[in-house]
Amino acid sequence: MGDVHEAPRPRIAAAQLAQYIGRPVCFVGRVEKIHPTGKLVVLSDGGGCNATVELSEPLDEEISGVLEVVGRVTNQATIMCMSYVQFREDKSPFDLELYNEALKIIHEFPEYFPFG
Amino acid sequence: NTRAIATGNGPPRYRVLMSDGVNTLSSFMLATQLNPLVEEERLSAHCICQVNRFIVNSLKDGRRVVILMDLDVLKTADMVGGTVGNPVPYNEGQGQQRSSAPAANTAPNKLQQQNGSLSAAGSAAPKYHPPSNQFSKASAPSSLKTPGGTQSKVVPIASLNPYQSKWTICARVTQKGQIRTWSNSRGEGKLFSIELVDESGEIRATAFNDQADKFFPLIELNKVYYFTKGNLKTANKQYTAVKNDYEITFTNETSVVPCDDAQHLPSVQFDFVSISDLENTPKDSIVDVIGICKSYEDVTKIVVKASNREVSKRNVHLMDTSGKLVTATLWGNEAEKFDGSRQPVIAIKGARVSDFGGRSLSVLSSSTVVVNPDSPEAFKLRGWFDSEGQLLECASISDVRGGSASGVNTNWKTLYEAKSERLGQGDKADYFSCVGTIVHLRKENCMYQACPSQDCNKKVIDQQNGLYRCEKCDREFPNFKYRMMLLVTIADSLDYQWVTCFQESAEFILGQSATFLGELKEKNEQAFEEVFQNANFNTYEFKIRVKLETYNDESRIKATALDVKPVNYREYSKRLITSIRRNAQLG
Repeated sequence: MGDVHEAPRPRIAAAQLAQYIGRPVCFVGRVEKIHPTGKLVVLSDGGGCNATVELSEPLDEEISGVLEVVGRVTNQATIMCMSYVQFREDKSPFDLELYNEALKIIHEFPEYFPFG
Repeated sequence: NTRAIATGNGPPRYRVLMSDGVNTLSSFMLATQLNPLVEEERLSAHCICQVNRFIVNSLKDGRRVVILMDLDVLKTADMVGGTVGNPVPYNEGQGQQRSSAPAANTAPNKLQQQNGSLSAAGSAAPKYHPPSNQFSKASAPSSLKTPGGTQSKVVPIASLNPYQSKWTICARVTQKGQIRTWSNSRGEGKLFSIELVDESGEIRATAFNDQADKFFPLIELNKVYYFTKGNLKTANKQYTAVKNDYEITFTNETSVVPCDDAQHLPSVQFDFVSISDLENTPKDSIVDVIGICKSYEDVTKIVVKASNREVSKRNVHLMDTSGKLVTATLWGNEAEKFDGSRQPVIAIKGARVSDFGGRSLSVLSSSTVVVNPDSPEAFKLRGWFDSEGQLLECASISDVRGGSASGVNTNWKTLYEAKSERLGQGDKADYFSCVGTIVHLRKENCMYQACPSQDCNKKVIDQQNGLYRCEKCDREFPNFKYRMMLLVTIADSLDYQWVTCFQESAEFILGQSATFLGELKEKNEQAFEEVFQNANFNTYEFKIRVKLETYNDESRIKATALDVKPVNYREYSKRLITSIRRNAQLG
């Protein structure tokens, strides 16, 4: 599934997962829960909705805070994670609500924010 | 018949002969605000009119005069065509009670003397109960009894003149100034002034020295009092915008008594100008404004050089539905006791517009500041602000220099807007903030040798003997300090701009001190160049001053960076989102 990284992956909010089934996406959210197996993580987005992220291999490190996940949306509207990045919040906190606002604009004006 | 009565100064006063079909009476005076009716010939002999409001005045010789405050011309003279009925002159002192015959709409008023209250024709009842004019000893429901049981006749403010010394007016205090003291070659003293309003007009009153002490604590803004006996003199129009030819000076015979029945008197009248319109208001004009106090600064004390006195001042920032913000300066007592918590609605009457930093307001001693006024505009503002207003990023029309850290009052522009709005091309400098990326730095001549004295940045002349001369300090020094004057080009998505950065801004951009850079330039050229390369293509928030400058007959816009800061992306995003949404709405 390396092709996920070659295709354009729109940023979406949890509410839009259903519309992007089968497609590569980029999702940013705050870590809410980590499954004991380390293979499932629940993230909440700026609008307060949750998304479940599945990992191909269990986590080998502690993760917390805001995460950006790139992966493909499964049929169950979860994200099959290909790669993730932890946002550093040491200098200033990441404003997830503001990110949500930006997401709304991106999707409201697709002519200005074309995805590939 | 109308007859013009010439008065010494001021507008003409018209005396009118009225008839109700049965009697005529010539003691009618037209209030000056109705003068246009005569001048435009709407009110002329034989026309039929309906008197809506009037006041009866008693002259010293016992004669009574009816002042017509408000009347409507029902039928013009040419439509009537002649005298109605066969009226005979009315004899004063005649019969008290007249039966009231409800007249038809077109018939003239029937004068009814019934303890001083009169009824008008048709449906128009006088909204104003005339002050009781006790011409009959019969007990009358007097609308006014001053303490001591004396019956005073309340006259309208419009009728006050220097030739009448015994008068009483019933008026509301619409403005109360602070006590001011003066000291000049003729002595010292103190005074305070107030503005009074009743239905007939307004007038200014001043109390000096002892009267100032006596009345200042008694008289409260917006309350109604009976004012009796004072001196009338011609008004000094320089000091006031009050529309009256005369003004009152309190004497030691003046009395001020609270009045309870005052609903009919107009309260403080405002004529608000929207904050965005202030940009077009000429400076030094007096305006009324209303806005939400979005933020306010702490009170500071400054010394007035002229009088060497310390004065408190406080800047408050007002915003209204136009989305524009203006800074208003409060002084003295008002500055000290101001409480801007919870973002109240502030209404200011009679503030002066100044062109400081664009446009700002100064509250004068003659202004009135009302916090959370009880008026429909205030409620509208409150509602608007609580729902959308507080999210609005507002543009300030009065620049706040180095003020709020939150940037609430910063004037954000894109470089394109700065150029298209021709900022800096007026006679004064303009200030704005923008987010820009450095795309070029000029490393040649980015530093100069400056005078090493503290606070002196003048370029020194190399005497070539190991000494450097500063013309400003008129001294020679064995050393100098390097000072930066860096020319950079910054760009945003739409435009670019050359900006000069001095010491602090330049050192920030380059990330090195001027001294270190000076050394680097002399010793390690490559490292020096690297500093500049690293500085390139960084994005910052710039606070810029633009001004048109003329040098050898050539005028050019010069931009200087006053402050360079890292971009606050959160605020920047919010501004962009607001801007996008706003533009989307405009379609």
